[in-house]
Amino acid sequence: MTKLAQWLWALALLGSAWAALTMGALGLDLPSPCREVLWPLPAYLLVSAGCYALGTVGYRVATFHDCEDAARELQSQIQEARADLARRGLRF
Amino acid sequence: MATGTDQVVGLGLVAVSLIIFTYYTAWVILLPFIDNEHVIHKFFLPRAYAVAIPLAAGLLLLLFVGLFITYIMLKNQRVTKKAQ
Repeated sequence: MTKLAQWLWALALLGSAWAALTMGALGLDLPSPCREVLWPLPAYLLVSAGCYALGTVGYRVATFHDCEDAARELQSQIQEARADLARRGLRF
Repeated sequence: MATGTDQVVGLGLVAVSLIIFTYYTAWVILLPFIDNEHVIHKFFLPRAYAVAIPLAAGLLLLLFVGLFITYIMLKNQRVTKKAQ
């Protein structure tokens, strides 16, 4: 089974379980606070996944290992190459 | 380690995501278990907004992504038409 099929299968399972519980189709009598937590659950999971993604991106940006020397060297090499190519007649 | 604005932006994103996560978790998960008379309910909107606001934000995001793609595609078409 492909990864997409696995994800869709898992989503369908969890989605149907949530729908059955929220609409009382299983005949269970859940206490009121539990019902109040249950019905926004998909939205909650989506928002948490989004927050996790945002936080991970921010963390990786903040802890990225810059190489100042390599950056400077690369810039000077770019300038050299531009001057060389311009000398040989290539127009930018 | 990244320097300057990179660090500020990165840590800012982390802080924003943590704030949103804690507020939303308290709203959706914790509030139903707290008595309706407790003062903390003053800091949270009615429960329906807990689904309505993320839904509206998601739709807005899709709208902006669609507008951006349309803009880029139109710009691309104009460039190829000029080159012909």
